[in-house]
Amino acid sequence: MSLDIDARRLGQAERHDSLSARNTRLAVGDMISVRLRRFDPAAGGAAFQDFQVPYRKWMRVLDVLNWIAENVATDLAYRWFCGSKMCGTCAVRMNGREVLACWEAVEPTMTIEPLRNLPVIRDLLVDRAPFDQKLAELEPWLERPASYPGFPEPLSHKDMKNASKALDCIACLACYSACPVIGLGDLTDFAGPAPLVQLGQTALDPRNDAAKVARSLERTGIFNCVSCYKCEEVCPASIPIVTRVIEPLKAKAAALRPAMATHSRALRAIVAMRGRVDPGALMLRVQGLRALANLSRIMRLLLRSKIDPIKTFLKRKTPATGAAARLLGRGERL
Amino acid sequence: MKFAYYPGCSARSTCAELNEATHRVAAKLGLELTQLESATCTGARELRAIDPVGFYTLNVRILALAERAGLPLMTICNTCTLNVLDAHAAFVEDEHLADDINVRLAEEELHYSGRTRISHFLWVLYENIGIERLRALVTRPLTGLTVAAFYGCHITRPPQRYGFVDSRNNVALEKLAEVLGCRPIDYSGRTECCGFHTAAHDERVAIKLTGQHIKSARSNGAATMVTPCPLCHTVLDSFQKEIERDLGENLDMPVLHLPQLVGLALGLTSEELRLDRHMVKTQAIASLIGA
Repeated sequence: MSLDIDARRLGQAERHDSLSARNTRLAVGDMISVRLRRFDPAAGGAAFQDFQVPYRKWMRVLDVLNWIAENVATDLAYRWFCGSKMCGTCAVRMNGREVLACWEAVEPTMTIEPLRNLPVIRDLLVDRAPFDQKLAELEPWLERPASYPGFPEPLSHKDMKNASKALDCIACLACYSACPVIGLGDLTDFAGPAPLVQLGQTALDPRNDAAKVARSLERTGIFNCVSCYKCEEVCPASIPIVTRVIEPLKAKAAALRPAMATHSRALRAIVAMRGRVDPGALMLRVQGLRALANLSRIMRLLLRSKIDPIKTFLKRKTPATGAAARLLGRGERL
Repeated sequence: MKFAYYPGCSARSTCAELNEATHRVAAKLGLELTQLESATCTGARELRAIDPVGFYTLNVRILALAERAGLPLMTICNTCTLNVLDAHAAFVEDEHLADDINVRLAEEELHYSGRTRISHFLWVLYENIGIERLRALVTRPLTGLTVAAFYGCHITRPPQRYGFVDSRNNVALEKLAEVLGCRPIDYSGRTECCGFHTAAHDERVAIKLTGQHIKSARSNGAATMVTPCPLCHTVLDSFQKEIERDLGENLDMPVLHLPQLVGLALGLTSEELRLDRHMVKTQAIASLIGA
């Protein structure tokens, strides 16, 4: 028995969670309340400034910025060029979410801020240099040590299916702003979604030199991606960044530089051997003796029966063991 | 109402209390669960990245086990849920992949034809039990309990699975908390990431990210957090000592598994729901609601 309700999407209707729903929330002549984050390096800190902007039909965030710049704050700094979702220069944060100003419908009340995780030059203008720098370090190009096989090259849809998704990237950096790991600054060496997508354009091209791709991947810190899909959610080009770019790049890293993928390989080996993940075994395999260093945590976990050393060390079989061993093979030794 | 029930690895080890609570609550709700004992791990995030074929095969096998039982599949872990949903989608979209997997499954006389309905426990409450019936089953309204719902990523993103333009618009947990008598609070961490998936090799990301979420829940007045995912629970609860050390302050934030919150409202005791297995003490909740 199933009731007539889709629990997976609760909130979408009442919170106007679609472009068409948002376009019905305002009528021509309504006033939009806009709060803009302004920053003038000469004047010091950042501050919010409020504006009332008259709504026009199909109005976009960019139209609001243009109206403000033309009518009230002629010194407003913001960037845009094509106005049609191609140039990737107009990304901002609207109500806490990364959007392309030229493509996003306005909301009745809007807080507009510059992208995160990049230095702000002035108002909504961010400095793209840290991204450019990171990307340059990844050497995002194609190298072909073998001789050119002649035209046409034998390439199939299957060969290019992931690279072609990455090639949809307009480098707007919305994902770079949304990434929580990038938000932690220098805590990890994670390159971030935008540089990885740019790298994926050539690293996922089968014509690229594997040794060169391996060198690039070593500089990405790619296994620090937490798989939260924030990048996919904000991507205006609808690139499945996690599943079609980051995961295929991880697969390449695991094949070309196995030491980068110790954690993933350990999990696979444990599942192949036991059918299920034994958390104690995973920690030991990945962290080695380091896992035993935090004695107080081990005691706490033991006290609540959250780890079971007998299971871990006796490698007790589960009813899932046979199937996993058959379908994954015996699993590699680390 | 019968379900093939897939608890996943976490609810069979670190979060065994979740499995126990789910069975107790299911009995109260009239859900008959057939636990899939021979089901393997869905591969977490690791297998799908480094061995996609192995990943699809293990997940489709789980769907095939449910199909053989003639039952819809019920999950209780966000990451497992997204994994089986993704594997189902790949199976339906790519007939070559589907054929290859079925050849492997035939070795143990299993076959998948793409018919298994996949449902997380949270969705089962809405779609199969129904909110009105659930409301009628509440014998101990959790009045006075302020709850911070922590969704976790894989039950509300990616957009191509769940259809949210902005995953913060998901309100399933808050609406449910209200039905149970709680007062859901708003805070910045609701649909943010706990960082679990990189924690096995580097806990610092999980500790830093989740510290912000718990702090926000706390400063917005939550007496407890609740999550539909045991992986999030592991970071929120089992890592809380390390998080406190990192922040340099006490948090003392109890974290309930979703079935535990439901179970409390249905009159089950904290012993029955195994609240004693949590790292952060839950006595404050029990005394608040008289459980």
